[in-house]
Amino acid sequence: MAAPTSRSLEYLEGLPGTTFFKLYQQPSTALAIFRRMLPDLAKCFVMALLYLKDPLPTQDLELWVKTESKKQRDNALSILGRLHILSTTLTGENARAYMVTNPFASSLRQALMGSEDSQSFGVFSQAPGESLISIADLDEYARGRWESVLGYMVGTSALSGQRDVNLSKGVKQLLQAGHLVEIRDRRVDITKDGFGFVLQDVNTQVWHILILYVESAEAIGMDSVEVLSFLFLLSSLELGQSYEKEQLSSVQLRTLADLADFGIIYQETPEATRFYPTRLATTLTSDSSALSSTVGSSLTGASAHPGASGSGFIIIETNYRLYAYTSSPLQISLISLFTTLKYRFPNLVTGKITRQSVRRAIDMGITADQIISYLYSHAHTQLRKRDASLSTSNTTSIPPSVLPPTVTDQIRLWQLERDRLRATAGFLFKDFTSLQEYQAPCQYAAEIGVLVWKSDRKRMFFVTRHEQVAAFLRSKK
Amino acid sequence: MNSIDASEHYELGATELSPSLLTVIIDTNPHAWAALEDSLPLAKAVANILVFINAHLACNYANEVAVVASHSQKAAWLYPVHNDATSQESSDRDGDVSMNGDGGAASQTNKYRPFRMVEEQVTRKLKELMDSTHSADLRGNTSMLAGALTLALSNINRRTIAWAEEHGGASLDDAAAEGTGATGTGPSRYSASDEDERLQSRILIVSVSGSSNSAHQYIPVMNSIFACQRLHIPIDVCKLSGDAVFLQQACDATKGVYMALSEPRGLLQYLMMAFLPDQRSRRHLVLPTRIDVDFRAACFCHRRVVDIGYVCSICLSIFCEPPPGNECLTCGTPLDVGNYGSRPALIQRKKKKKKRANGASAVGTPMSRGTPTPGP
Amino acid sequence: MPRAVRGLLIECDPSIKAMILKYDEERHDYIVEDLDDENHLVIKESQLQSLKARLDQDLDEKIMQLDDSESE
Repeated sequence: MAAPTSRSLEYLEGLPGTTFFKLYQQPSTALAIFRRMLPDLAKCFVMALLYLKDPLPTQDLELWVKTESKKQRDNALSILGRLHILSTTLTGENARAYMVTNPFASSLRQALMGSEDSQSFGVFSQAPGESLISIADLDEYARGRWESVLGYMVGTSALSGQRDVNLSKGVKQLLQAGHLVEIRDRRVDITKDGFGFVLQDVNTQVWHILILYVESAEAIGMDSVEVLSFLFLLSSLELGQSYEKEQLSSVQLRTLADLADFGIIYQETPEATRFYPTRLATTLTSDSSALSSTVGSSLTGASAHPGASGSGFIIIETNYRLYAYTSSPLQISLISLFTTLKYRFPNLVTGKITRQSVRRAIDMGITADQIISYLYSHAHTQLRKRDASLSTSNTTSIPPSVLPPTVTDQIRLWQLERDRLRATAGFLFKDFTSLQEYQAPCQYAAEIGVLVWKSDRKRMFFVTRHEQVAAFLRSKK
Repeated sequence: MNSIDASEHYELGATELSPSLLTVIIDTNPHAWAALEDSLPLAKAVANILVFINAHLACNYANEVAVVASHSQKAAWLYPVHNDATSQESSDRDGDVSMNGDGGAASQTNKYRPFRMVEEQVTRKLKELMDSTHSADLRGNTSMLAGALTLALSNINRRTIAWAEEHGGASLDDAAAEGTGATGTGPSRYSASDEDERLQSRILIVSVSGSSNSAHQYIPVMNSIFACQRLHIPIDVCKLSGDAVFLQQACDATKGVYMALSEPRGLLQYLMMAFLPDQRSRRHLVLPTRIDVDFRAACFCHRRVVDIGYVCSICLSIFCEPPPGNECLTCGTPLDVGNYGSRPALIQRKKKKKKRANGASAVGTPMSRGTPTPGP
Repeated sequence: MPRAVRGLLIECDPSIKAMILKYDEERHDYIVEDLDDENHLVIKESQLQSLKARLDQDLDEKIMQLDDSESE
């Protein structure tokens, strides 16, 4: 489930260097990118270098990392380079050395130590009086808004008539622009991307929408850097606190209004002088796991009423029967995407996962992994408990699984019937004159983690990104 | 056939990384800090440690922190503070403590709020601690390390169980369940297989006092160390001054990082480079450890640190001199001391391996006529 | 002089590869490079969708369908 990071990471990587320069002026942005986009090891590197006076020679860094972890090291360095966080310079002795680039370093230091009143982390509302909004209310609000967005997408195809009409025009346009839905003859149809989207976990969905938003903001003349850094600012606000709108620029105010439509922030009226971030905003920089237990549970609808514990409501048996304890129309229509539903009771639907139902889902563009991860993240506590008791009683090498392995395997197999090839976009390097000439770049590509396939005999190899390898080839000449 | 199968996706959910809980134990013994005044005053050290804590919190949204002061006469919580009269905090699921007692500072929000809350509380509690210290308390020149370690461990245990309960998932429920049931068979509770799935805890001790003063805490400190070893909690030690016999053993036993800073001024850089990486990152890094660990122990009778002593053959208690009446102070076994005063006979070379296996205990029992037999 | 060619690396079973090779024989509009091992080849990026559609169609015809009605 590395998906959430990769999507936003990809977008960020595509930005030009000058954009990064502007983005990193804000401590909140530096902090959010540091926390969310970097692998563990990269975080260690940044922190170790952050307070060093002189650049750290590359050799020293190499010594610091164990030799068997070379791959992780190179991967970390590569990401840091692509995000313009780390750069290489020459030390006095003419050795190559790493340093954290400047707007990022100073901003991160500011974030850690707090200095100057940059107001990078929002301004609390001081206005007295007015009933404060409780965290529970905010969660309820966010859940309601987000479900109506999803309901708008799904409800149209699977559960017509049950449509939430209070979505703003902006939201609908954004969903359309992102090719998550299509409008044909004034009828809303969900696309393949859309199906994939609705089955993802909430954090991933929010990121997906936000990236779409930033992209579309550019199109209508808003400064994408300003929008982006405002999003990162939102992610560092505190749940249950209200913040002043006074200091915000017009672009930021406009963003604020749009985000309110998604339930990412809350304001009493569009004219209110303060706003509240909801959990959707404040958990933006967390891992999906940190979120699933909180927002996830409040968003499934099953546990919106007290008494139900945890986020899970789906029980699936080894005979492919599925029981979902929910009355949420959204969840039912999601489940119906890949299940043949059988009976419906006030708080329970039952159905069966069949070859046909899975094939139908796959034809719609849903992948087996999406189905499985949806089932996994909504698995009933009973399934998890059973799993826990099994894993203690037998300590064999079989990894514990929440879902019945027969079912997950079969869902994958059903997908494989159709999906008989795997495609990787990238670049084929060929026409090397000698084995030596071939070996060095090939090995380099493997080290930086971009190599997918190689053939020593044909002196060819296939990589996912060519920039660094090409640079390597040039440097060899 | 079927070179394309989806088998690489089998570890579903295993890629989700659990957060880590860092417990910092600050040695606040005023004597020792006074000696360091020139190079690194306490205020500056605390400021450095706070930046380090912020860096830890910055690494992951769900990372948690706890700070304990090991003072001259007592150990005290600096963060999070429970049962504080001024605020009715309750650690919520993210481990942040909601505080309502800081109305005044609310306007300056140029700092990420979780960072600010830790800082404010740590400085406030530290000041309270210092203000409440009377000159009478200072006589000992000691530090309540054992108490601080115990506080840290109980907090870690509580958070681990709470975290496991919240995140329900695979094989974590049982850790909590076993904790309450009487079936707890030690290691299986925190078995290595789910290491990545539970809260990653570690302890950092910033130490300034010499340990020869704290030899009277030898037994409780060693017990805490063994508890950490069992629970796979590394103890890191950042030694600013003084010597630390037991702390070296702590790092050695728990596979933590030990560093004695030759230049205390550079504290922050040391902290950031050597002590920030959590257990997961440490697998990839070459960490500073000590090779020449001081394995000396303290005797049970006078709490002196001894090179060579006497060991009860029944319960392995260590004594610096034969116990009065030749009866073990711990288990009461009458001991036959024999040639008291003679140095143990050293057998050349061969013994080397054995010596190491004996580890912490002193070299040997003086013996003359074989093993002393328990009394008639 | 080494060259880098843009494309999609396809990983598949030998049987599927054989089918792709057959399609390519018609107009040579799929393959960039045949990688000479059992289950890899590089194709043009633009052709993936049409290739998949064609494969699905052919496979549906050729593979015997198990009869699983959705009844209990």
